[in-house]
Amino acid sequence: MSAVSASDSALPRDFASLEPWVAAGWAGQTAHDRSLLRVDRSPEEVAAFHAAVAPLLDPALAYLDLFPVDRLPPAEERLMRLMLTFAHVALAVEMQGPDEVLQRVATRHMRITRAVADRPPA
Amino acid sequence: MDTIACTAGCELPGTPIDPAEYGPRTVATGPYYRRDWFEWEVEAIFRREWLQVAHVSEVQNPGDFVVREVDCCKVSALIVKGKDAVIRAFHNVCTHRGTLLVSDRPAGNAPVFTCRYHGWSFERDGSLRAAPDFDTFGLAKADCALKPIALDVCGGLIYINLDPQPRQSLAEFLGPAWDLLPYHAAATATGFSEYVYEIEGNWKLVYDNFQETYHLRFIHPRSIGTSTSPAGNFFGYADTFATFGPHRTMLLPVNPEFEPAPTAARGFGKVIQSAMERGTELGPWNRYYFCMFPDNYLLLSQANPFVHSIMPISETRTRGTVRLYWNGEDASASERFAREFAMAATRDIHSEDVSVIEACQKGILSRAIDRVHFQQHELFCHYLYDQARLRVQDWLSQQGMADAADAALEFGR
Repeated sequence: MSAVSASDSALPRDFASLEPWVAAGWAGQTAHDRSLLRVDRSPEEVAAFHAAVAPLLDPALAYLDLFPVDRLPPAEERLMRLMLTFAHVALAVEMQGPDEVLQRVATRHMRITRAVADRPPA
Repeated sequence: MDTIACTAGCELPGTPIDPAEYGPRTVATGPYYRRDWFEWEVEAIFRREWLQVAHVSEVQNPGDFVVREVDCCKVSALIVKGKDAVIRAFHNVCTHRGTLLVSDRPAGNAPVFTCRYHGWSFERDGSLRAAPDFDTFGLAKADCALKPIALDVCGGLIYINLDPQPRQSLAEFLGPAWDLLPYHAAATATGFSEYVYEIEGNWKLVYDNFQETYHLRFIHPRSIGTSTSPAGNFFGYADTFATFGPHRTMLLPVNPEFEPAPTAARGFGKVIQSAMERGTELGPWNRYYFCMFPDNYLLLSQANPFVHSIMPISETRTRGTVRLYWNGEDASASERFAREFAMAATRDIHSEDVSVIEACQKGILSRAIDRVHFQQHELFCHYLYDQARLRVQDWLSQQGMADAADAALEFGR
């Protein structure tokens, strides 16, 4: 079921429109990496990422739910990490809005040292 | 013991406090910045009370260990599960000449602990297994075991007590919370998410931020400033306050009119739904906020199942560790997304507080003011101050220095 591609940015076919975001580094490896994308990238880029991913969040999670979450094929695993980055970006865009300028400093104080999503499969 | 009915029909043990009766209080700033006071607090509180330092999921199998630093006491604690499945804590110090035993990693699994200095090795139950050329010491192995630290577990949470002979058992210390903590997600969690921070702030000043709602409107206008303040309760004051021993609890209000943002609705909705499907529904305990003395507070909530540890490093520096506990592995991509969102959202709220706490500490350090004021709904801040004060004064009396604390507690210093 996984996309057959040698590309490090390849996503499952229905989500191929998001591949440029993977290529631009938005599928952060760890939760802390993902949380930094929201504050390291420009506000315009963060907003554009949100606009691109938001309509695909529900279909992407519905699609990924068909797989065992700890054994996702490479393309699906990239899609998962892209959606996890969206969890952080959604806070910036949907909740903080104009106050995100403060959070760009504040959240750096709190380092994510462990996340269930980052654990190696048992 | 008095009980108070919670809004959903259960009874919360503890002594209810009416904020209006408790009233406003004014206290001296000394305990928020003085080094002498802090050193007394370390002796009177952090070397004597139960501290929440780990979780059972970190030491699941025999030989699993974690090293936890209690910085203010300069103690390194080695917490390890034995062959007999008993979890024990020891001073992480070789009994030969005092070298730190495990110094290369903060956690792992080990069949035996070997000191890198001269090769003394210790079993997982702390006993000395072997030491090179041991006969030359003229010692008995039984006298060379690792120094134990008292340890007990409640609701999956591991506590240690650095007092060689704790005055209270953990059950006595926690009081009614001994029966309530097992309602927290930590009791059944198989894992957790974690974020940590260090902050320029006295530990009580940091803690105070998290035990009053007066600031929510100003510091958290977009995150929880409105979701916790229903009509007619602009500052989201708790409906119920109670204390038991040195601990505090309050029932946080919710604003039924609040509409979460789309992703928040999805993320928190899924976390709550998963918790219910897994049988961890909290029912009436949801939204009870437990402020445990001295070092942590937690919310009995499905959406933010966290324990926030606040441990002093120095009189003006503190480390915070926030853990969100999860029952079971991620069952699906949707659940993984929801848990990442819940962690990120909780972190957003906590991170909003950092700069204002540090600004508060700077202002106090300037000595521009010699006192701080608590209004009646900030009563937990005063209660914590008082509980710390009582312990410091009690300890100083035992040392024959009963008057030593006066200078720190007087106005005009």
